Amino acid sequence: MSEAQAFAMGKFLAPVPTDRRYAKNHMWAVPQADGFRFGFSAYAVRLLQDVYFLEWSVDAGANLVERQAIGAIESSKAESELFAPIGGRLIRFNERLLSDPSGINVDNYGEGWLFEMAGGEESLLSSAEYLVHLEASWAVAQRTIKGQINEE
Amino acid sequence: MPSKLTVVVSQGQSASPIKRKLEEDIVAGLLFERGVEVTVIPHLYDLAPDGTGMLCLQSIPGDMVVLSWLYPRAAHWTLDRNRIHGRVGTTLLVADEEDEDESGDADDEDKHRVADDRPAPNRTIYCIDLRAANDAADFLTEVRRIAAETSVKTVSLDLMGWIKGQPKPDQLDRYLHAPNGGGDRAPATAPVPPPPAIPAAVPDLPLTAGSAPVAGTSETSAPAPMRIDEPTARRWYPVIDYSRCTNCLECLDFCLFGVYGISAAEAILVEQPDNCRKGCPACSRVCPANAIIFPQHKSPAIAGSANGEAGGLKIDLSKLFGAPDPLQVAVLERDVELVAAGKDAVGMSVGIPKRQPGKSAGTKDDLDRLMDQLDDLDL
Repeated sequence: MSEAQAFAMGKFLAPVPTDRRYAKNHMWAVPQADGFRFGFSAYAVRLLQDVYFLEWSVDAGANLVERQAIGAIESSKAESELFAPIGGRLIRFNERLLSDPSGINVDNYGEGWLFEMAGGEESLLSSAEYLVHLEASWAVAQRTIKGQINEE
Repeated sequence: MPSKLTVVVSQGQSASPIKRKLEEDIVAGLLFERGVEVTVIPHLYDLAPDGTGMLCLQSIPGDMVVLSWLYPRAAHWTLDRNRIHGRVGTTLLVADEEDEDESGDADDEDKHRVADDRPAPNRTIYCIDLRAANDAADFLTEVRRIAAETSVKTVSLDLMGWIKGQPKPDQLDRYLHAPNGGGDRAPATAPVPPPPAIPAAVPDLPLTAGSAPVAGTSETSAPAPMRIDEPTARRWYPVIDYSRCTNCLECLDFCLFGVYGISAAEAILVEQPDNCRKGCPACSRVCPANAIIFPQHKSPAIAGSANGEAGGLKIDLSKLFGAPDPLQVAVLERDVELVAAGKDAVGMSVGIPKRQPGKSAGTKDDLDRLMDQLDDLDL
């Protein structure tokens, strides 16, 4: 993570490193020998806060279509299903997170990576494009969260 | 004589010792309950349509309480598809996330439901979720309450039958103004059920025990429930809630595995349940009335929870993290099953409902605008 721009979520600055690409579902992608390694962006981790449960519903080797449900995550504040960022083959999951998902909070851009996939990169964004995407979706994200809180 | 209340305990699929203990504690507690007959069956949803368990349930004549590890709606309509009909009995014992808000199926009240065309059943079936409490005593209390409720009904029906349905005015007057009370109080002062005949243990011919015991035949052996030991395998098929179903036939168009069919009365039915693809709930997602239940699905809304939504306290970020809408999910699930069955994926090209084709664009509220924004964002 050499250089990083940042996106302001209120007072919190979510770093957006420029050395990688991003999927619209708030995952980063770094090229590997056999595909891409994916992890959560700082924006996603900030929305989740302390992760304490991570579960995958597909096995390594599975062929996925983009946005196919692949698992679920739960944190102290929120829960979400997780979806494939691109279409392709799932190569492997980060085994370390299976016993202790808090690695996502500790080092989301490094050791806290989620999984590796081989597949098409057409839908991936540059860091600049991802910042534009964050800008455009921030108002709705805030309203979604606040709206749900107010309903409780 | 008021008929007995039959209590059916449907066992869990797994032999979980905690579940088994709750089941057996309830059975043991009910054995000495007056006016109650106990039947133990394997998991209701897994019973074969022509198996011993279903035949036994079909032979139960009167009001019935069914305790199972299923949402009450799922249990009720699983019975219904096996020709075991009854009015929905209201139980006071419900799981935490199941509030009594039935608004899920009351939104379009003017819509015609398939159940509206059916004759009203003449008995009541109370389905209780065994996940609603951890203590057998809670279930025993609720069964006692229901037993009292149903015996009152039965007695008053008997009295009306006794006066042959065509009472002369003076007969009615005498009945209603009887010196020892009457009218509304009549059921309460009516003869209480006779002392319980201890349920006879019927080891070899379980089906005969479904009929009311003839006076004098009850042996004084230790009370034992009727147990149906039908070997079952886990099944997976949709169950239709006809009190919600509008017979729009979108499920028939959408499912490409031939699960659905049309009855002689032109109502949708689950014709080939075992054609269903294990784990696939896609048709449930396309149903505009939320009438299709997969009792074993992990999502409460699909498994038959009354309020139709998973009532979590946490914020659901799925939409922000890229969740497709239910129709997209259904199409994906169907494609996965088509490919697994050696066929070609069809995507959105086949059997996709045209939603709200005639719906006029009313004024949008805040929620509409928020949904529009989310849709436009291509998250």
